[in-house]
Amino acid sequence: MGSMDNTVKRLLERLVRRIPSRMLKTTLDKWSRLTATQRQSIDYTESKWALTEKLLAICEENELTVKHIAELEMIYVIENPNLGMWHAFQLMDPQDDAHSVELTQFKEQFKSHLSELIRHVSIKIKKHTDEAVWIRIAWGDTFSRPNHLKPTYVVHYLQTPYVFLSSLTSKQKPLLSQALVLSTRYQAIKDANLSGRKLTAIRDLLMKQYLQVFPTKFPSPLAERNRVVSNLHIEKEQAGSAANRHQMACEAFGDGLLPQLQSAVYKLETKFRDHTNKTMTERDEPFRCVVKFASTNLLESLRHSASSGVASTPVTPLLSSVPLKGKNYFVITDNGPGPSSQMKPSQK
Amino acid sequence: VRTPIDSIVAQRRSKNKSYRQSYRSCLGAASRLGHTPGWTARRLNTSRRTKSHNITEKVNPEDLALLVKTEWQLSYVTPLYQFRHTQLRSYSRQLSAFITAEKQQGLAVEVEGAQTSFRVSFSVVQGLGETDDDAETVLVQIHSKPVFAGKDEAQKLVWSGWLTCINGNPEYLHSLPKDFTCLPLFGSHGAENLTSLVKSWFQQTFDCCFGPLEINQTCLQWLAALWTNCHIESSIQHLKMIWTLPVEPPLQITYTVNPQNAWELWNSVRTPSLESREEEETARSIDIEEVTRFMQGLMSHFYRHFRLDLSAGRLSQVSSALGSAKFSGRVKMSNSRYILTTLSLLTECALLKMPI
Repeated sequence: MGSMDNTVKRLLERLVRRIPSRMLKTTLDKWSRLTATQRQSIDYTESKWALTEKLLAICEENELTVKHIAELEMIYVIENPNLGMWHAFQLMDPQDDAHSVELTQFKEQFKSHLSELIRHVSIKIKKHTDEAVWIRIAWGDTFSRPNHLKPTYVVHYLQTPYVFLSSLTSKQKPLLSQALVLSTRYQAIKDANLSGRKLTAIRDLLMKQYLQVFPTKFPSPLAERNRVVSNLHIEKEQAGSAANRHQMACEAFGDGLLPQLQSAVYKLETKFRDHTNKTMTERDEPFRCVVKFASTNLLESLRHSASSGVASTPVTPLLSSVPLKGKNYFVITDNGPGPSSQMKPSQK
Repeated sequence: VRTPIDSIVAQRRSKNKSYRQSYRSCLGAASRLGHTPGWTARRLNTSRRTKSHNITEKVNPEDLALLVKTEWQLSYVTPLYQFRHTQLRSYSRQLSAFITAEKQQGLAVEVEGAQTSFRVSFSVVQGLGETDDDAETVLVQIHSKPVFAGKDEAQKLVWSGWLTCINGNPEYLHSLPKDFTCLPLFGSHGAENLTSLVKSWFQQTFDCCFGPLEINQTCLQWLAALWTNCHIESSIQHLKMIWTLPVEPPLQITYTVNPQNAWELWNSVRTPSLESREEEETARSIDIEEVTRFMQGLMSHFYRHFRLDLSAGRLSQVSSALGSAKFSGRVKMSNSRYILTTLSLLTECALLKMPI
C-alpha cells in the first residue's frame, strides 16, 4: 500500500466504518468505479477491516484517487443524509433571470465562482432524483490541499430559493454564500432560522410539502388512537371541548405524520407582564430569557400539547409559526419577531 | 462486627415506634396526639435562612475541592447503630477487606477485578457543620491500584462518598437512643458496583438501610430561589430550569433566565422585611410563599408567550453557576459558600424520605 495516497486510505477506512454492513453492497453497486468482476469478488460477510483491505487493493488496482472515494461518500450521504445538523438558508431578491437558471449553468457558475474565491477547493455536484442539486466541497487554502475528511454538503432545490447546509465553519460561510448567490442569480442569502438533524423534515417544513389538513368540521364521535373510556358521562361532557382542541391543534400543526423536527429555540426580549406583580410590570427593560423546546418529534409533541389541553387553544402564533413559517429559531421582542440575519455579497 | 443484641433487633423489626420517635412526629404537636403519623407535617420547613458561609478557612481544602467539583448521587440513610467516629481507621480496613473479598468472589464483575487492590480511607470533614447536634460529616474514598504496580504508580481515586447531617431537626436528633448516629444524607460518585458494595457494608455493619433520594418539586424550587437570592453576592450567571411535559412524545422545555432579571423578579416578590436594618440582606429568612410567588412569576411570563402551563409538567432540573440539582437525585454544589445552605435543605429532604 506504499504508493497509495494516505488520504485515500483514511477516507476509505472511515467510509467503510461508517456505512452499515447491510448497506455496503448497494452503495458500492451504485459506484461505477468497480468492474463487475471486482464487485463480485467482494465477500460482504467479512469483517469491516478485511473489507477495507480488499477495497484498498481494488482501488490501487484501478488507480483511484481521493476524488473517486469522495464520489462514493457522496453516493452514501445522498441516500442517508442524516449525518449531523442541517441548517436552512433562503436566497433573497432574485434578479430577473434567477428563475430560469438551470442545472448546467448553475454547476458551471458555482464551480467557477467558488474556485475564484478560494485557491484550493474540490467541488463535486450531483443532481438527485427529487430535483435536488447536491454539492460536496472539500476546502483547502492558499497553502494546503483540500481536506476531504471534513467536507461541507450543500443541497439546493433549483427554481426555489432554498439551500440546506451541513458542516460549514464560520470562515467558510461567506465564501460559500457568495458563490451561491452569484451562481443562482440572487442578491443575498439569509439564515432561515431552521435547523434539524433530519434533512427531509426541515426540507418538508420549509417547502411545505407535507400534508397540512385544515379541517373545518370533524365527524363525530372523534376517533382517537388508544382511546380509553373511563367514564361515559365524563367522556360525553368533555367530547365537545376535546373535539375543539383537536381541531385547533391540527389546524396549527397539521394532521397525520409530521416532519421530524428536534427543537425550537425562542430568544425572548419582551417586557415582563403579570398584573399581579406591579414592580416587574412597571419596568421598561425587557425580561430576557431563552426557551428551548426539545423532543424526538417536536411538532407532534406540540400538537398533542394543544389537543390534550396542556397548551391552551387557540395555539399561540409563537408555536404555530414553526410549521407556518418553517422556522425553529425566533427572536421575540415587543415589536414582533426580530430581523433575521442577512448577508449580502461584498461589492467587488 | 457484631450485630446488635437480639432484643433490640426484635423490637425494631416489629416496628415498635415507642422506642424511637418517628421524624415526622417531631415536626408537629398534633401528630403526637394522634395514632397515625402526622401526614400534614410531612413537608419541608416553610422558611429558612440563607447565610453564605466562608468555610474555606475551616474545611480542609482538598476535601472542599472534592465536594465542590463533583456531581453526587444522593440517597437517604437511616440512623447508624454503634457508629463511632473514633473507629474510622478500623472501618477503612474492614471496608477494604470487604470490597476485595467481594471482588474476588466474582460477585461484582469487573474486568480488572482480580488485578486491582482497593485502599479505602474514612475521614472526618471537620468544619462542615453548623450546630453541635449534627454528627460530623464522614468522607469515604476508595483508591485503586493494580496489584503488581510499581511503588511509584499513583493510586487512582475511583470512588468517593460522604455521609452528612447539616442542621438536622434537633428534636428528632435528641429523640434518638444513645447508640444511634444520624447521618441521613449520603452522596456518592463512582462506579455503581462500588456504591452497592459500600452500601452493603454499611447496612451489614450498622444495621441501617439506604434508599434513593429524589429531589422533589418543592425542593428544586427552593434551590432555584435560594440560588437566585445569592446573585448579588456571587453571580449565578443564569438560572436554568428544565421541565418535562407529559405529552406524546415527551416534550422537554429548557427555560434559561438572565441572572439580573431573575434577581429582579425574586426581589419583587419578597415580603417586606420586618427585621431590623442591621440584619444582613442575605441572612433574612425566606418563606415558602416567596418561593412560590417567584416560580409563579416565571411560569406566568412563560404562559403569556406560549399559552402553555408549565405546572402541567414536572420540573426535573434546576441549575446555575452555583450548582445544579436534578429530580433523579443528582446534585452539584459548585460554590463552597453555599454548600451548607444546600446540604441543609437536602438533609431535611433525606430525613423526610426515611421510611421510619
